[in-house]
Amino acid sequence: MKNAVTNGIVVLPFVTGVALLFTNTALAAGVPAGTLIENTASASYNTGGPTQTVDSNKVTIKVDELLDVAVASQDAGAVPVAANAALSFSVTNTGNGPEAFKLTADPAVAGNDFDATINNLAIDTNNNGVYDVGIDTILANGGNSPLINPDIALTVFVLVTAPAGTTDGQTSKVNLLAEATTGTGAPGLTFAGAGFGGGNAIVGSSGADDNALGSLLASIITVNLTKTATVVDPFGGSSSVPGAIITYQLVATVSGTGSVNGLLITDPIPVSTTYSPNTLKLGGAPLTDLADTDAGQASAAGISVNAGTVAAGSTRTVTFNVKVNN
Amino acid sequence: MFVRTISALSMALATLAPISSACAQGTVALVGDVKVVKIVQDADGSRETLAEPTSVVPGDRLVFTTKYNNETGSKVENFVISNPLPKAVVLTAAGEFAVSIDNGKTFAALGTLTASEADGTSRSAELSDVTDIRWTIDSIAPGATGEVNYFAAVR
Repeated sequence: MKNAVTNGIVVLPFVTGVALLFTNTALAAGVPAGTLIENTASASYNTGGPTQTVDSNKVTIKVDELLDVAVASQDAGAVPVAANAALSFSVTNTGNGPEAFKLTADPAVAGNDFDATINNLAIDTNNNGVYDVGIDTILANGGNSPLINPDIALTVFVLVTAPAGTTDGQTSKVNLLAEATTGTGAPGLTFAGAGFGGGNAIVGSSGADDNALGSLLASIITVNLTKTATVVDPFGGSSSVPGAIITYQLVATVSGTGSVNGLLITDPIPVSTTYSPNTLKLGGAPLTDLADTDAGQASAAGISVNAGTVAAGSTRTVTFNVKVNN
Repeated sequence: MFVRTISALSMALATLAPISSACAQGTVALVGDVKVVKIVQDADGSRETLAEPTSVVPGDRLVFTTKYNNETGSKVENFVISNPLPKAVVLTAAGEFAVSIDNGKTFAALGTLTASEADGTSRSAELSDVTDIRWTIDSIAPGATGEVNYFAAVR
């Protein structure tokens, strides 16, 4: 739809002149819709006597509303999404009259690893470029923006959730479409009398709609816990007989992107066994059994270790011993 | 006193008489018109046509025409047509007219004018600087007609 008309006329030399001329105009969007262009010529002359003057009639044209819009992603790169994320877009009224635009976010873009769920749109009410919960006005997907004045850009957030099953590193794109509420169509299409200021509304080179893609990068962090047991029996073997010592090893592996906070590793002492006091270790370093300032505690019921903040790509290993009861 | 009043009135009538006879002679009539330049695609490619300005948007090119008709019954000399450009348009082509970039105070060919920037520097005047245009026609024979025009785009 874009450039359908300009493609046809670009070969004409005068168009180049017109394009150059726009670089000098103060208003990118042009003269406001509803402006009256009035032209009057006057002449002076002699017919042998004193100089006489005469005015022409005044010719008047009303400038119609041009419907044009530009949408662009405002994000520096792919936006990381663990559960929820806000994609930001600018919606610029490149027409010449105040216009509202229907905003529709579409999460199903070809090539996506996953399709995000669109929760809502939001208007950057306080104009700080960041989505502020409870401050920025929520707009249902497919709703209309407020009136945007010519040459003014509105920041629109698309609030998304990554679906269950999304894995770290997967990417997704979301398309935001803005359509002039007066109407869209082929450039030049005219909506009689529908323009701001009482004139017509005419579809501009954008088709009165535009779209842009925002990118999401799944930043999912996962924790895997692996438990192994090593048995040493009183006879030098590895049978789980009464009196045997079982060493349990719990390995927490953090993978994905980011870090986890407050990683708590707990394990109950199995029935028919008894915790061997002062055998709790984190990363090979002994921890006291008391609930005190170190990361761990142990009792007859079980062990508990708070591994704190753990970055993706690292592991935490907890070991403790139990003795098989007689 | 009464006699003097009569005499003053007759003098007034006497001075009015030549003016009313000049009116009867007519003036040079000026008729303005505007058309919008539209691009038409046909088998021969693209070409321009002039259409009634029923729909005009920024970027559209307009041609403003002023027709003149010497209805004075005499030869007209030093015929000068002045046309301040509407603020909402910008001249798109020079023509057989002088231009002003200072709201009609001075006129010259565009290439000879220098515009001042806000920062004090100056540069050659451009079409977008033009505020007024002026045509000068040395003489028009009684009954002769003609027209002048300029092209401008809606800003």
